[in-house]
Amino acid sequence: MDYSTMTSGDVVSQRTHTLDTEAVSRYVEAVGDESGNRLDVAGPELAPPMAVAALSLTGVVNDLAIPGGTVHAGQELEFKRSVAVGETLACRATLEHNSVRGEWRFMVVRLEVDDSRGRRVMEGKSTIMLPG
Amino acid sequence: MHFANLREGDALPEIVKAVSQEQIERYATASGDHNPIHVDREFASGSQFGGTIAHGMLIAASISEMMSVAFEANWATGGRLKIRFKAPVYSGETVTAFGRIKKIETHAEICTVQCAVGVRKANGEAAVSGDATVVFPVE
Repeated sequence: MDYSTMTSGDVVSQRTHTLDTEAVSRYVEAVGDESGNRLDVAGPELAPPMAVAALSLTGVVNDLAIPGGTVHAGQELEFKRSVAVGETLACRATLEHNSVRGEWRFMVVRLEVDDSRGRRVMEGKSTIMLPG
Repeated sequence: MHFANLREGDALPEIVKAVSQEQIERYATASGDHNPIHVDREFASGSQFGGTIAHGMLIAASISEMMSVAFEANWATGGRLKIRFKAPVYSGETVTAFGRIKKIETHAEICTVQCAVGVRKANGEAAVSGDATVVFPVE
């Protein structure tokens, strides 16, 4: 992928994912986060908010085809609405900044996640450093 | 931690995690991020890190867990996180997520709690540092 041609505003990933029981279980097992079980709410089981963040980054990692050695330098997240297990989420990633400093390419990618009713559940920004 | 009892300067409940290569590989599967710096020992040993490192978001998850424990559902509905990844966490290391309340403001029945948060390694080195804010209605 020729990253030098990418400019601010380019949509780098747009995917729909269902955060089903299996996906949440895989995430919870991987990070050992059981705080979702502590949410004292009536109704459906809720996913850990960072599972939504991880899901939103799946498209960035794969659709940007980031090379080995890429470093995650910073992350901003804003959780706006809890997400029930089984919810289908629309994840969109847009390039906000792209520059080269020394041996590294710095990219800032804006993340937006909406639920199946079009309500924003999370947004944020990832700063990544690509080698070469 | 009961919200009515929150005070500036209060420490948040720490979360301690041992990070294994198996856990890193499970996270790679769960997140779809199979960057070889995380899962390929040979590639990683020749990188600037000299070995496999955990995904930043795997380490950051411990901060989110801490905030969920401290602020319950309010974190999922009104949480904001801004962090920098300061140092890599290698497989086999143990990390601790920590935080402290910096400021509490209540306005128009909305409470905003600002916290300094981070993750430190067993040797005290900062792996992650930043700020977390929770906004929730006052009951």
